[in-house]
Amino acid sequence: MRDEDTYADLTALFTAEDREHEAKPFVDQVIGRIRAQARIRKLLLAVTGLGGALLAASQLPTLLADSVGLDAALTTSIIQAQADAGALANANPLWLGIGAVVMLSLVAVAAMERT
Amino acid sequence: MRTDPDLAADAARGNDSAFAELVRRHQARVRGMSRRLTAAGGDADDIAQATFVTAWQKIGTYAGGTFAAWICTICYREFLQVRRRQRQEIEFDETAEIIPFDRSMADTGDKLDLSRALAKLPEAQRICVTLCVAASLSHREAAEATGWPLGTIKSHVTRGVAALRKHLAADQVA
Repeated sequence: MRDEDTYADLTALFTAEDREHEAKPFVDQVIGRIRAQARIRKLLLAVTGLGGALLAASQLPTLLADSVGLDAALTTSIIQAQADAGALANANPLWLGIGAVVMLSLVAVAAMERT
Repeated sequence: MRTDPDLAADAARGNDSAFAELVRRHQARVRGMSRRLTAAGGDADDIAQATFVTAWQKIGTYAGGTFAAWICTICYREFLQVRRRQRQEIEFDETAEIIPFDRSMADTGDKLDLSRALAKLPEAQRICVTLCVAASLSHREAAEATGWPLGTIKSHVTRGVAALRKHLAADQVA
């Protein structure tokens, strides 16, 4: 006789008790939490993506200025944005630390979460 | 009807409807298990929810086999985390009553005899009876879930079942 057979009656009692507690709201709550996490993850991915794109765009003038030659107004505005960001960081270096922590957190979350 | 591994494979590809079906199928077992592990403490449904959220995040690591055993292992680990946090809170709060787990609901009169009898068992026996008898895990699966030796599991289950029957008989006489 298998070990399980010696307590099959108790297993049946437990199973009956469990069925009484089945509830649709529980399934909805779990799936709701999962979908909410997915929305936050997508938002974070969009923000990190946008941040990365802006960072890459800010480097473009340096890369392409000599060989291609960008529109002067666009180049000026990008350089101005870079200068503003530099000035902000110079005014209080804490901003650099905050920015780095935020970026690292976003990267960690994006890497850990499932797609 | 689609099998659990099929649904898990779909869930691993991001199909949350497939995962919802898995939650539907296993919610009774997992909620029952967390209720019993906590001796019907107020954290039971939080543990059950956390179990399924963790399962969703780790569904890609499910490598076939009994889905029930896999999800029950996650549930047991969530229970351990909550218990660890509770113990830390008790250590920090010098005025707190020292109790192994929140048993606030355990002594209410309207609970079923079965749950009341289970709550009277020592924690190790309660865990083993919950995993093997209530959640229908094999002794080997319970040993893998808890990290305890197989012999220890068998011994706790045997003693736990005997004590459970004794408590149930006593309740019926009373």
